[in-house]
Amino acid sequence: MENELKQLIIDTLDLEDISVADIDSQAPLFNDGLGLDSIDALELGLAIRKKYNVKIDAEKEDVVKIFASVSTLADYIQAARD
Amino acid sequence: MTVDFVLRDWNAWAPGMSCHEDWQKWRDHQTFAQEEKAAIPAAVPKILQRRLSPLARAVFNAADGCIDSDKSLPIVFSSAHGEVNKSLEMLKSMQKGEEVSPTAFSLSVHNAIAGLFSIAYDCHQEITVIAPGQDGIAPAFIEALGLLQEHHSEVLIVLYDEPLSDFYPSLPFALNAPAICALALKVSLTGNGLPLQFNNSSAHRDDGEQALQILSFIKFLVADDNTLVLGNHRHSWEWHKK
Repeated sequence: MENELKQLIIDTLDLEDISVADIDSQAPLFNDGLGLDSIDALELGLAIRKKYNVKIDAEKEDVVKIFASVSTLADYIQAARD
Repeated sequence: MTVDFVLRDWNAWAPGMSCHEDWQKWRDHQTFAQEEKAAIPAAVPKILQRRLSPLARAVFNAADGCIDSDKSLPIVFSSAHGEVNKSLEMLKSMQKGEEVSPTAFSLSVHNAIAGLFSIAYDCHQEITVIAPGQDGIAPAFIEALGLLQEHHSEVLIVLYDEPLSDFYPSLPFALNAPAICALALKVSLTGNGLPLQFNNSSAHRDDGEQALQILSFIKFLVADDNTLVLGNHRHSWEWHKK
């Protein structure tokens, strides 16, 4: 699941020079880590909804925690699908 | 209205053309290369590079050749149509029932390229983005010369446009140049460079919109002509080499 998610991040966000192996599952996705921004968060939210049919609602959920790292994002999607 | 100013430096990009010598040669044949994308300047952070459309790359390439990395200038961007082709793509995907990409939306607005430029070059100076409509390149000069009168020592003008999608009917208007083109002009009131005079004119002209006028201005810069008159049915303007 984590690797699949990493590939989705790379494809969705046009991270041409980055491979799955370059992304640390525990590292922050935004700002310091991969250096992604708020537009990327929206784009990723849309891609996750399309691929996993999981909607992340910014009004109800703690989006900062969910998008903290690949690991937290994978846990959230897994739990939402179960 | 007559204003004297100095063209401190200029740089322009179009497919196959990226330096003054290329444009000198272009003056004789006036053709462009096919399908070439402008190189992304080294100053642009990696994470932002993926956001640059072909038009943004042309703008960045032209402007980068005119600025010092340690000194940011006020900038006047001018584009008749901006990234309207991106808006068309979004409308087409909405028509198919698809969701609109937030990234595509954010990059489709008229000041998107200016926004990216200010982030990439850490520019905290005043930035204006003009949609000059029928009036071509002159409004950008008027804005920039106004900024110089307000005691900015130098201002960068960046004129850019790309051909509109065939979806939009253009006749009977002269809207499209044959290729993407971006022209950056660094202007000041004094100093070294090419001294120019800018004034309005009573001539009735039919020189087309900005995309075509950019090429006329580049031709004026590389040719021996001393005067350029441009207008598009409404106001007309003159540039003289002094």
